[in-house]
Amino acid sequence: MGDPTAVMGFWEAWPLWREIVAVAIIAAAMCSFVGVYIVLRRVVFVSAAMSQMSGVGVATAFFLCSVMHVEPHDAPLWLHPLWYAIAFAALGAGLFSLNLGHRRLASETLVGLGYLIAAGSVILILNSPRVSQEAHEVNDLLYGNAVVSTPAQLTIVALTAVVVAVVHALFGKEFRFTMFDAEMARTLGLRTRGWSLLLFLTFALAISVSTRAIGALPAFAFMVIPPAVGLLIGDRMWSVFAISIGVGSVSAFLGYYASFRWSLPTGASMVVASAVFLVPSLLRLRAR
Amino acid sequence: MTSGASEEQRAVSLIELARVEVGYHGAPVLPPIDLTIAAGQAIGVVGPNGSGKTTLVRTMLGLLRPVRGAVQFPLRRRPRFGYVPQRAAADAVFPLTSLEVTLMGRYGLIGPLRRTRPADVEKARAALRDVDAEELAVRPFHALSGGQRQRVLVARALASEPEILVLDEPTNGLDLPSERAMMELVRSFTARGIAVVLISHQLGAVADHVGTLVVVAGHDHPVAVGPRAELLTSERLSRIYERPIVVRVVDGHSVIYVDGGSQR
Repeated sequence: MGDPTAVMGFWEAWPLWREIVAVAIIAAAMCSFVGVYIVLRRVVFVSAAMSQMSGVGVATAFFLCSVMHVEPHDAPLWLHPLWYAIAFAALGAGLFSLNLGHRRLASETLVGLGYLIAAGSVILILNSPRVSQEAHEVNDLLYGNAVVSTPAQLTIVALTAVVVAVVHALFGKEFRFTMFDAEMARTLGLRTRGWSLLLFLTFALAISVSTRAIGALPAFAFMVIPPAVGLLIGDRMWSVFAISIGVGSVSAFLGYYASFRWSLPTGASMVVASAVFLVPSLLRLRAR
Repeated sequence: MTSGASEEQRAVSLIELARVEVGYHGAPVLPPIDLTIAAGQAIGVVGPNGSGKTTLVRTMLGLLRPVRGAVQFPLRRRPRFGYVPQRAAADAVFPLTSLEVTLMGRYGLIGPLRRTRPADVEKARAALRDVDAEELAVRPFHALSGGQRQRVLVARALASEPEILVLDEPTNGLDLPSERAMMELVRSFTARGIAVVLISHQLGAVADHVGTLVVVAGHDHPVAVGPRAELLTSERLSRIYERPIVVRVVDGHSVIYVDGGSQR
């Protein structure tokens, strides 16, 4: 912050970055919120696997466009990559919410298999001769672009955040009970498979939209780092959620600012900015 | 020492198993079993580790489907169950207070789309009081000792206003005073008309606190179900376990041991 002209430049450039920063902050808040459940459930790699599965959806949409000789920019609504991203991530949510462990294969191995098969499928689809010419655009859609955004993208991210927030506001107690002690919840008559599926669907929604908006790495990071900070500092569920959302939102802004100020990669700057918050929380943990 | 529930309460059958076989993936782990549980009844399900006790009870709770037969509910509705599992599946990483954990017992009654009301909080507090754990209400669940957690989980089960309360190995890891306190609680529950099912691998731990015993000893041995007085004899237990077992009563308490082995 030693160069005041650079700071001025940042604020003067407000019209350039206001949308992408708004998108990043909303996506970060959303990922940091659902990430609390992901970290508590010890399934952090589920978000990475779902992100890859949503990538298969994007690649599939592009492939279908090329097969049907439709320009991706002019594709009808039903061919929009976002729907396919959400649908494939939801498929992953359905699979992973079942916690399909086996005596010989732990459920985390199945998550790893899901990630690898999805990642391989994306590469195969994108290397099809029909799609390769769109590779740059597909790449942006797959791994996001935290540098520029559009009002439409802001609307999509904001609406998604509202949907996720409403679902959690309505069914938060069922989600908490199912995650905390599924067996007792079932004994009391809660349909834990249904609640678990709905919770994972909110993960899928948050992941697929955020990955497209700000990139796979920051989306994954916001699902892990701010919740970890929240759990290290907070003693109650509400405080963990509040800290996580706060750290995620501030990190998104600081990361973008650092990226603007020092010409750093935006997504990586957001990740490092959120990681900085781990330091005081780890110190607090040590002091306990 | 079975219950103080009224005769009227006792007459209400809550759950019936007629020739029900329990197990996993279509393979029964126990021979067919007949069992009826009535309000205010105290039942002990005992047997060695791995003999199928928990499988039997998980089937009654609806957590497992019977391999054969069906669990019947004479009231034409599923009774309200409270369940305190053997090794609590409750995840201690969650930043929840004991009161919040107890309040979860109300969630089934509150239903979705509804928030917890002050009356639910009061019921949860009352449940904590019942198990002498009110002072733990604001303490983080993860910071409690094993015995304190057990009490909070019993309180959560009570908060659900159960008709049948299932306690799986309730005295495991408890010191003698805590074990005694737990059994006093069981007596108070049955006196209120709650049916209590105690699961234990230690026959001696539950024998004096139940009216009916269910003795399971694996798939190759018939399940023995009957009044404690009938089953808790040297002759019957020796036949069930196929080894010489001695039952003695010392100062009003049953002492059970394998003849030539150590006392339990």
